[in-house]
Amino acid sequence: MVEKTVSCPSCHEISTFYGEPGEVKKVTCPRCGTLGKVTFAGPISTDGVAIEVSHLKKVYGNLIAVNDISFSIKKGEVFAFLGPNGAGKTTTVEIIESIREPTAGTVKIFGKDISTSFNEVKEEISILPQEFHSFERLTVRETLDYFSKLYKKRANIDEIIETMDLTSHKNMLYRNLSGGLKQRVGVAMALVNDPEIIFLDEPTTGLDPKARREVWEVIAGLRNKGKTVFLTTHYMEEAEYLADHIAIIHKGKIIAEGSLDELINKYGEGSILHIKNCSTENAIEMIKERGFDAYREGNGDIAVRIEYKERVLEVLSILRHDCVDYDSIDIRRSNLEEVFLRLTGSRLAEDET
Amino acid sequence: MNPKIIVVDFVTSVKGWYRSRGTLFWSLAFPIMLILIFGAIFSGVGETKYTLPVQDLDDSTWSHTFVDMLSNISVLKVEEVSADKNITAYIKEEDFMGALVIPDGFGETINKSFVDKNVSFNVSFYYDPSESSVSVLQSVITSSFQEFNMRLSGGHHIIGVNQVSTIGKKFNYIDFFVPGMIGFTLMQTCIYGSIERNTKYRKDGILRKLLTTPVTRSEWILAKMLFMLFLSFVSTTVIAIVGILAWGLTINVNPVMIIIIIANSFLFSGLGMIIGRFVKEEETADMAAGAISFPMMFLAGTFFPLQQMPAFLQSFAQVLPLYYVNEGLRNAMIYLDFDKAILNMIVVIVFAVVFFVIGVLLTKWRED
Repeated sequence: MVEKTVSCPSCHEISTFYGEPGEVKKVTCPRCGTLGKVTFAGPISTDGVAIEVSHLKKVYGNLIAVNDISFSIKKGEVFAFLGPNGAGKTTTVEIIESIREPTAGTVKIFGKDISTSFNEVKEEISILPQEFHSFERLTVRETLDYFSKLYKKRANIDEIIETMDLTSHKNMLYRNLSGGLKQRVGVAMALVNDPEIIFLDEPTTGLDPKARREVWEVIAGLRNKGKTVFLTTHYMEEAEYLADHIAIIHKGKIIAEGSLDELINKYGEGSILHIKNCSTENAIEMIKERGFDAYREGNGDIAVRIEYKERVLEVLSILRHDCVDYDSIDIRRSNLEEVFLRLTGSRLAEDET
Repeated sequence: MNPKIIVVDFVTSVKGWYRSRGTLFWSLAFPIMLILIFGAIFSGVGETKYTLPVQDLDDSTWSHTFVDMLSNISVLKVEEVSADKNITAYIKEEDFMGALVIPDGFGETINKSFVDKNVSFNVSFYYDPSESSVSVLQSVITSSFQEFNMRLSGGHHIIGVNQVSTIGKKFNYIDFFVPGMIGFTLMQTCIYGSIERNTKYRKDGILRKLLTTPVTRSEWILAKMLFMLFLSFVSTTVIAIVGILAWGLTINVNPVMIIIIIANSFLFSGLGMIIGRFVKEEETADMAAGAISFPMMFLAGTFFPLQQMPAFLQSFAQVLPLYYVNEGLRNAMIYLDFDKAILNMIVVIVFAVVFFVIGVLLTKWRED
């Protein structure tokens, strides 16, 4: 059984559904009742590796920007390359895109070494560079036409415009679009050659939450079409929401890699049960006596670490049995932020400063 | 090389250009404005005192009297030139607008005129028509002769002025100015266009994006050069038409002029690429381009003839590519001095090859 969190296309309510790997399930939005289909991530395809990076290194003078990193990305995955600004994400992705020369190491795309055969894979890849701005005085439609005509293999531009929900903006000049729309056009541009691999470098940086959510939906759509997506981001929630496969890069090295569940299980702290406004003085001691790790948080709430979900009931039983007085409880699962904190000793936001 | 990709990129560039009011202004409206303003300013205004070299080949009492009369005119400062000098060369060397030559026979003709009122005689006024204030000097001299004739014979025409242009045909300042304006506009268009492509496109990620598409660097540069040539010919045509309509300019279109325009586009596009390679920030690159192009505009004889500048600046101008573009266009389009025009053209081509090749070699899409 696997879970999948999706946003309702009508009311944007975020809901989690469960299903078998590879299953396509009809679902209903619990808020507005909209019907839809959810495809659960299938067993990771082993029939092909899209990108293979081996012992990649990039040195600028005394600075080692990328320090001997290796990983591989399977076809059809959304791979999130996560790390704070300056960690080496963009340098790595730009080496893979053949924009920068590595100091050492090799990159293969569909088995072809890009140092010698990059031209052979150009038709199969497409990129959205970081902080990308297209030609200001071309319309959306003209922009897509321009980039489409650079390739032999072309997707249907009208379909891309429709898929990206750009129909009503297709005759607007690029310069007059909002930040979110520009990013959507950027992603649309990355689809004009119907590529197998799409590189999106910080596609949501600088966008407001609504625009960010719109771009996420587009990326989720690409995964549903079976495209391989290489996403670099410093937003934990972006990686959590979109990625099948996550690599965390810190100071030029990959410090953790795996699926979201694998990372949280391996490096997270399980789940935390928060007891709000607890007025019983010895509540912590009572919980601790039953073998739980409990502590008071900065806001006065009590936090209880839960290693297995079945133990939640035990804690609730203690609270009821010992007549502990509280307002409410909630359970939060460990997230990538906590994984990052545990691995590096600092929060992602702190590392960005 | 894929011609379709080149055409697609060219058409895209043209679309972007005609939709940009700023670019249209700087490439078309601004030079037109300058032509109209400068043409109006320099059509009638002159200096307050003019030096007039006079070569008295007659050396008679009458010629001395006439020179004395000229000396008494308040706006003239008469400077005597010895009889052995070549007057045309002297004007150019000493940077004068014009000079008066009183040929041998001047005094004798005046003496005869007391007996025979039908005799007449011409002195020669050699002048450089491209000098903006020469018309003032011409009218002062003409008035002087009218007064001299009046005193001699009560108005009967005895002494006339034979006006001789030092460059063979009568030209005025606007003839000098319009080719300079074309050279300057094309320089600006190509330098700034090239810088935009190499700095803004890099900053916006367009070059990174293009690097991962099948388009090659040479296809892209070729497409951009076609666009630059298109802009150059549009600007030239518009400026020339305004010159013809507003100032009655006579322009000769010929292969030398066209080759200079083509070479000029490559030359300054190459210079823009070089600037864009070393100064990567768009704003700083624009300032660097301004720091190079604005002094060049003034020092390379765009607005004023080099002869009006101090000697050391004149020597400096001879190493500036824009000087040869301006001179080449003037000689080819206006003065029809093809010996000089072809020489200028060769120098511009040499500059163009050097700058463009260096520019292309330095232009990289890849990052370090």
